[in-house]
Amino acid sequence: MGAVTYPDPKVIAFITDHMIPLQVPSDHKPLSSEFAVKWTPTLVTLDLEGNEHYRTVGFLPPEELIPSLVLGIGIMHFERGEFDQAIAAFDRLLKEHSKSDQAAQGIFFRGVALYKSRKDPKPLREAYDRLSAEYPGSPWTRRAYPYRLIN
Amino acid sequence: MAAQIEWVTSMDEALKRAVAERKPILLDFFNPG
Repeated sequence: MGAVTYPDPKVIAFITDHMIPLQVPSDHKPLSSEFAVKWTPTLVTLDLEGNEHYRTVGFLPPEELIPSLVLGIGIMHFERGEFDQAIAAFDRLLKEHSKSDQAAQGIFFRGVALYKSRKDPKPLREAYDRLSAEYPGSPWTRRAYPYRLIN
Repeated sequence: MAAQIEWVTSMDEALKRAVAERKPILLDFFNPG
């Protein structure tokens, strides 16, 4: 990550603009134990109180790190009940990184966030329809399979 | 634009900045070699 991904200008700009970057060695005490780190690189998205919401393990190239961070921010807002901010992050992911590995997960959680904010199940069905059309082999399409029954 | 990522190395500092700047924290555990 330090040799390839972190020096990338787009990565520098995204992290500088949107996150507080904290870097520690994997044997750091007490953080390594507190976050149960077993392999590197482990990247964790934390909210303003330090609560974990998303993590990845293993190398990510620049074109995958940025969408991964956008997804993590969206999931953080989703889990905090900040649905408008979550939807905005998922929209950004799908607009700017539709070819990324994280796009299908973004469609899934965008549908769930819309459902929870509007109390309307239609976005769940729309999420399934989009997933099945654009990402038929994704595990997130299978997870959305029950939503096909929503009218 | 910053020339490199300006990592902080303390959770306390990261939390203070997170609250002040209203930004989430990216916590990177790296291999110290």
